[in-house]
Amino acid sequence: MTVSKYALIVLSLMIMLRCIRSMLSDRYEPETWASVRFGRESVPVTHWENLIGRSRTADIRIDREGIERIHAVLKRRDNGTWMLYDVFSRGGVSVNGENVDANGAEVLPGDAIRLGNTSLHLQDMSEARRDALDQQRTSAGRKVSPALTLFELTLFELLLLLQHLCTAPRAQTMSIALGFAVLILLEWFCYYAMRLIGRSGFEVETIAFYLTSLGVSVTASAAPQDMFKQTVLILLAFVLFLLLGLWLRDLRRTEAARIAAAVCAVALLGLNLATSDTLNGAKSWLSVAGFSFQPSELVKVGYVYVGAAAMDKLYRRRNLFVFIVFSAVCVGALALIGDFGTALVFFICFLVISFLRSGSIATVFLAVSGAAMAGFLAVSIKPYIARRFATWGHVWEDVYGAGYQQTRALGAAAGGGLFGKGAGGGWLTEIVAADTDMVFAVICEEQGLIIALCMVLAVLTLSFFAVRTARRGRSSYYAIAACAAVSMLMAQMALNVFGSLDLLPFTGVTFPFVSRGGTSLLSCWMLMAFIKGADTRRGGSFVVRPSAELFPSERRLQEKNAAAARKRKGGRGT
Amino acid sequence: MKKITRRALAVLLLSAAIIFGMTAFVLRYIDEGSDWALYFARANAGAGGELRDRNGVVLASFDATKSAFADDAETRVACYHVTGDYWNRTGTGALSAYWGSMQEYSLLSGTTKKEPKQFTLTIDASLCRAAWNAIGYNRRGAAMLMNYKTGEVLAMVSLPSVDPINGEAAVADTAFINRCLSAAFPPGSIFKLVTTAAAIEDVPGIFGRQFSCEGEYTIGTVDIHCTGVHGAQGIEQALANSCNSAFAQIAVAAGYNSLYRHVRDYGFLEPLELDGLYSVPGSYRTEYAGDPELAWSGIGQSTDLITPFAMLRYVAAIANDGLLCTPRLILTEEPPETTRLVEESTARKLKEMMSYNVAASYSPQTNFPGLYGLCAKTGTAEVGDGAPHAWFTGFLDDAAHPYAFVVFIEHGGAGLQNAGPAAAAILRAAIAADGR
Repeated sequence: MTVSKYALIVLSLMIMLRCIRSMLSDRYEPETWASVRFGRESVPVTHWENLIGRSRTADIRIDREGIERIHAVLKRRDNGTWMLYDVFSRGGVSVNGENVDANGAEVLPGDAIRLGNTSLHLQDMSEARRDALDQQRTSAGRKVSPALTLFELTLFELLLLLQHLCTAPRAQTMSIALGFAVLILLEWFCYYAMRLIGRSGFEVETIAFYLTSLGVSVTASAAPQDMFKQTVLILLAFVLFLLLGLWLRDLRRTEAARIAAAVCAVALLGLNLATSDTLNGAKSWLSVAGFSFQPSELVKVGYVYVGAAAMDKLYRRRNLFVFIVFSAVCVGALALIGDFGTALVFFICFLVISFLRSGSIATVFLAVSGAAMAGFLAVSIKPYIARRFATWGHVWEDVYGAGYQQTRALGAAAGGGLFGKGAGGGWLTEIVAADTDMVFAVICEEQGLIIALCMVLAVLTLSFFAVRTARRGRSSYYAIAACAAVSMLMAQMALNVFGSLDLLPFTGVTFPFVSRGGTSLLSCWMLMAFIKGADTRRGGSFVVRPSAELFPSERRLQEKNAAAARKRKGGRGT
Repeated sequence: MKKITRRALAVLLLSAAIIFGMTAFVLRYIDEGSDWALYFARANAGAGGELRDRNGVVLASFDATKSAFADDAETRVACYHVTGDYWNRTGTGALSAYWGSMQEYSLLSGTTKKEPKQFTLTIDASLCRAAWNAIGYNRRGAAMLMNYKTGEVLAMVSLPSVDPINGEAAVADTAFINRCLSAAFPPGSIFKLVTTAAAIEDVPGIFGRQFSCEGEYTIGTVDIHCTGVHGAQGIEQALANSCNSAFAQIAVAAGYNSLYRHVRDYGFLEPLELDGLYSVPGSYRTEYAGDPELAWSGIGQSTDLITPFAMLRYVAAIANDGLLCTPRLILTEEPPETTRLVEESTARKLKEMMSYNVAASYSPQTNFPGLYGLCAKTGTAEVGDGAPHAWFTGFLDDAAHPYAFVVFIEHGGAGLQNAGPAAAAILRAAIAADGR
């Protein structure tokens, strides 16, 4: 038991270190899709969405007279064709002499493009050339073998299981063992499935599985009778992760379904508001056929899905406006439901998305001050929120009342020391909601401070990775979605951890992956799909099609063109 | 895309906030982790411990699987304020005070298992029960008994009390307060022992002076009422009569500075330690109030407040010729530590006078039969909100049974009639226990 305690820490640190090295320090070259020629210069086009202009932040920088700082957007569509959009330029944009507006026009290779009085040519890249360039890029997981990291994770899980088998009630050992076994099998299945389709980037999944296994450990300690249910949920979460990831592969399809997603999200919240009863001061649970779930968790996924946008949409104010209305509806509904913690998570995510989309600090200030006013209103209307604020920082003055949960979380966390009491060896799990709201302290007590900090580090690593991949993202949709997803995870984690440790008022949101609670697990796994969506490293992600490969719509278009050409040829022959 | 990329750096603000918060937590964890952990270091955190009385009666015990109290309900209730509980509801219990030493904490391994630690208290549970019964379950009050030759506290009870195995539903108002340590009350006439000490030391020729009493004494426009018409009397007789008229004059003769110095030096104004437990400070503040208030304060009224424990120390020091054996709650083999609290000559004189009190005024044959060498002082403290508080404090000047005691009954009525019998019962129980 004692040896396994230290081994778990060493393995945790090794897993984290390997993931960090692989995600943050490996070389990460851009993809190349085409090139733009103007005069004698030729600039590679490294994204699907490119800002053309004189500004330093333009993707295709043309420092010529008559070109605005931000002049136009060049966008590649799934079928391989290119679109050009005018972004409110004074000088104008034209293709083959025809003016282009904000709705864009198709550009074919060789077309004469004029921005102001500069003329450009788009040169498309052949498959073979794309492939050749791709071969020169560093493939994901080349330096740090994902299989070895996964092997360490497996050892980690086996040791956790061993600890549980020593302490768990006899009747529950089977379900606990089953839970861990399913998790390990799932990991390796996922790994081999990815290898099979030529993907070697596995760090995001590894981190998600690492956190999930800590969540399984918490369930085994706090509610072993729910182990089977939790196992089923993990499988479901993983399936949803795969499905969403596959769906996100196609940007056009993804964007087309945004309105539908928004409607679904609002409908879910409305249903929640209309039907559920108040539980613990919040009506956030919805029971369907004996299975209760939190709609707000699923709406998180929908929110990121709807909030992200491709670049051609970014410069249309109407689009941002619709998003703000959608956000207000979501946050307002959550406030009405009484789930202020989740409302706050949404709001933080809203700030991130709106800043990414508009780049306007003024907008963010405006939103924050508006929210502060709404917050004051909430505090004055809802006495239990005011109470939480009053308790904040004074939990030790009311150990048996308002500070009940926080003081116990702190006491148990400190009781665990750096190395912990071992799985199932703590007492905090006896406290109501310890396995959701105070899960950081539960891990602190059972596995020690180091592993608890690793847990936080895992989420932080995802955030650094998301920011890094955003630089190489194909579309701003994927970049924004990835950043929004990690913001949501981080906001949730911060409220959970700091709330239970009395660094912030107690809110009772869940810790990503680790808190017991099915819907939260589903949404966290689905948010991972967005992070995978931005990962354009060579062989990095199943959500991203390799640049060398022809896309289905691209192939269809090429076949159609070829057929049309044959027909023309044949017609001339007769 | 570059624009978005730059904006994405804003996400790192969130990451930075989390890193900042976690750093703050880790620093606090290093700094305060020990307090956090030991506050809740319960049985199931690993360690174990046991609290026993001087005769081996288990008052509280806990190990990996259970946390328990004494088997006998009366013992649990009578000893509650000595024992405390696992939930720290009474701040002045041994469980709260010695929790830390029963548990072990280190930054690296948190709370850890060690050999179950046993604490043997100087308390005699049977005497606590006797004291609890002597006051009576339906009254509020406090009683302490101490061996003034060793400093061992044999009984400490406070009423109303709590049976710690029950929930909080049936707990009487203020039952968690240990009235021996955690509350200070108007002392009434027992304070005359302090005024007397001040007079002995600071009023020249005090023993030659006569103080007259016509049932009340007027200072300026204020009448100080007395319990009787005592006529002319010396200070010994005035103490035995507990004459307010006389002590009003004695207090004014001694003056504020002398009284204050004595009150302060005897420890009435500071938190006093009982082996890791602390009393609340009392109060004495009549500096600028003028002679009438000074006179009232000399007879234990005005703003005077003292804790039963502070009074116990004082009479224990008087009993031991002015040397106070540091009060103890944990039984040890070590010889008692002594400090001089009262001048030796003053203490001897006070002892003589307290003995005379009993002989002259307390009818020892009827009220205190069999209590050889009883030296005592009664107190009946007038309060604004009902019947006066009853006090009885003193000691047995008996080498075989060297016990100092204090009994306090809240709104109990006259001291001799109410606190007196309770004190007698406790002392008889202590003597009987010595015989076993």
